[in-house]
Amino acid sequence: MTVPAQKPARKLSMKQRYSALTHDLNWTPTYVPEAEAFPYTTFEGIKIHDWSKWEDPFRLTVDAYCKYQAEKDRRLYAVLDSFAQSQGQLGLSDGSYLNAMKLFLQGIASEEYQAHRNFAYLARYLNGPGPRFAALCQSLDELRHAQTEIHALSHYNKHFTGFHDWKKMHDRVWYLSVPKSFFDDAVTAGPFEFLIAIGFSFEYLLTNLLFVPFMSGAAFNGDLPTMTFGFSAQSDESRHMTLGLEAIKFMLEQDEDNVPIVQEWLDKWFWRGYRLLALVAAMMDYFLPKRVMSWKESFELYFEQQMLGGLFPDLAYYGIRPPRHVEQAIEEKEILSHQAFWILYQFSHAAAFQTTVPDAAAQEWLTSAYPETFPKLYQPLFEKAQEVMDGGGRFFNMGLPQLCQVCQIPMGFTEPGDPTTICQRHSIFKGERYDMCSDGCKWIFDREPEKYVQAWLPVHQIYQGNCGGPTIPDVLAWYGMQPDDGGDYLGSADHQAWTAWHATAAKEG
Amino acid sequence: MGVRAIVDTYEYPSRSAQENYGDDLLVHVWWQDNLWFCSAGCFRVPQAMAWGDFLSGVVYPWASGDPDFDPATVHDWVLDDAPLEASEGKTLAELGVGHKSLLEFRAPSRTGREALVG
Amino acid sequence: MTTTADRPVGIDLQESEETRALVDAIEADNEDLTVLHMPGIVRLTKPGRLVINQASVEQRLGRPWETHELQLAIVSYFGHFAEWDDDQILIAWDH
Repeated sequence: MTVPAQKPARKLSMKQRYSALTHDLNWTPTYVPEAEAFPYTTFEGIKIHDWSKWEDPFRLTVDAYCKYQAEKDRRLYAVLDSFAQSQGQLGLSDGSYLNAMKLFLQGIASEEYQAHRNFAYLARYLNGPGPRFAALCQSLDELRHAQTEIHALSHYNKHFTGFHDWKKMHDRVWYLSVPKSFFDDAVTAGPFEFLIAIGFSFEYLLTNLLFVPFMSGAAFNGDLPTMTFGFSAQSDESRHMTLGLEAIKFMLEQDEDNVPIVQEWLDKWFWRGYRLLALVAAMMDYFLPKRVMSWKESFELYFEQQMLGGLFPDLAYYGIRPPRHVEQAIEEKEILSHQAFWILYQFSHAAAFQTTVPDAAAQEWLTSAYPETFPKLYQPLFEKAQEVMDGGGRFFNMGLPQLCQVCQIPMGFTEPGDPTTICQRHSIFKGERYDMCSDGCKWIFDREPEKYVQAWLPVHQIYQGNCGGPTIPDVLAWYGMQPDDGGDYLGSADHQAWTAWHATAAKEG
Repeated sequence: MGVRAIVDTYEYPSRSAQENYGDDLLVHVWWQDNLWFCSAGCFRVPQAMAWGDFLSGVVYPWASGDPDFDPATVHDWVLDDAPLEASEGKTLAELGVGHKSLLEFRAPSRTGREALVG
Repeated sequence: MTTTADRPVGIDLQESEETRALVDAIEADNEDLTVLHMPGIVRLTKPGRLVINQASVEQRLGRPWETHELQLAIVSYFGHFAEWDDDQILIAWDH
């Protein structure tokens, strides 16, 4: 028998499908007043008159979301499998490369999870269906990122130190309190501030500086899993950038009174995010055996050209100016990575990654990338550190560092205009002194001292006896670290294993 | 401006307040003009510690992490932005050192400002 | 002072077999495009506005291509998605 060909249903346009699957599924609750159903969208002072004005430019719907995310995961897991099967870790540019990935796993994976949690909250508590759905997608993305990062790097845990106990470390270790306190600050803010903090300032303004050069660096150093999860995550990131940008435009367009509030959040979160990226700057310039671009170049490309040259003229229309203290960030591009690395270098005995004096080729590269600052200010440090090594020692700082009350980084940054004097700022609040590393962090503290006096500063906590005991071995054990995790890379367990593998390969080949 | 929050009164204690340290203080020691130590050091010390013991037991062992360090060259102590003339027998409390005070000194080093930029 | 018409916008794409057709299509449809190759990434920038046409991509891929598929290739962008429709994606600044 013949079946008459079924007439295909008329396909909805993308615009219609988006409307049908988001706005048309929304309803106005009648059993409780709106203020009770959405209790958290007024206390920050942001005024919203019409939630339906929030549009997702991606016009993403749940069917398209599932389809493309599944495809991304399929591609990713195929790469992870083949990398593991082919013992891909042996093809890395150098064993020391993985120190960048240790820092990444310890510092980022748990923050993806934090972001997942807060976007899930937004997916419930924002009044409009458009932002709720976009937040739901981002919440799922962030969970996927945490999982894929952990999964991708788990292969290295079989062969290298420092990839274990990342979750415990995140909650306890001194340098990881930097990203942790950043996210703690964001998730304890209201929903609108969170959107400016993470959605806009971090995702739109700064995330390119974290992911793009890093993933390109991974590609260059033979790290296929990182490159692949990075690109897979970053493809979601563009959607997150859009959500962040949409969030700021929406707030600015809804009411003029929102402008000064948004501006202050932007000022705060630009500086918070920028300080966090000091760790990334160090990784880019010092941890990658084969370098793609310097922190300085990447800052110029992704921040100065794109954001200051592109985005901020656009936001000027609403009365928004570039973030406060941005000129200091620009000035610091010559010195930031060196100062951050020097901190990590001298505290590597208390870290779950290893550092070493950059070799001759690396120093040559640093000189060409930073001709004004590296040879004059930082090369002498490494020459002296090398002398200590040549004498059979290794310079580790045997004290604990003074920490910034806001960014929690050891106070190693210098005065504007003077790269040889450490910048010391402090405020007195209710009779107690609090120290800050910069004008940016001091401005943030002074705006909300009640928040930052609660900071869990690792150094202070160690001295209060809350971190396993009074000695460094006590604290490291409490951190979940193992004896081979930190120290100098040369002669480390990773270095020895790497050298042995390649010696065997050379003999057999 | 206070913290905008879902509670009416947003007030919580400092996690670094002096009472968390018994009779001790946290003090910050900063070797001015030397890039070797990435930041000032933070130390927990008794308020009744004598200045001489503080130097020999806390400052010098830490500062000797710089191979150029020579205790005899330490000069120009500054306490919280004011010059400090300290005699060895005085206690930190007597000298006016408070919780999270900043103590600065100068001493020559090849990684000091003088050597690097003149 | 730059204007909306000449402030650059751009898009970073993964460098892969699949995106080659996409990059070709973008190059064909956008004058004054600057192409920068980095390891694993190709970066396309252009003053004012950058357009991706479904028809141009399909022609080069030799198969149907939904504009949503850009999500598999995109790494980053700057500008706004001024339009994202079945047949076209447009990146531009608003103001």
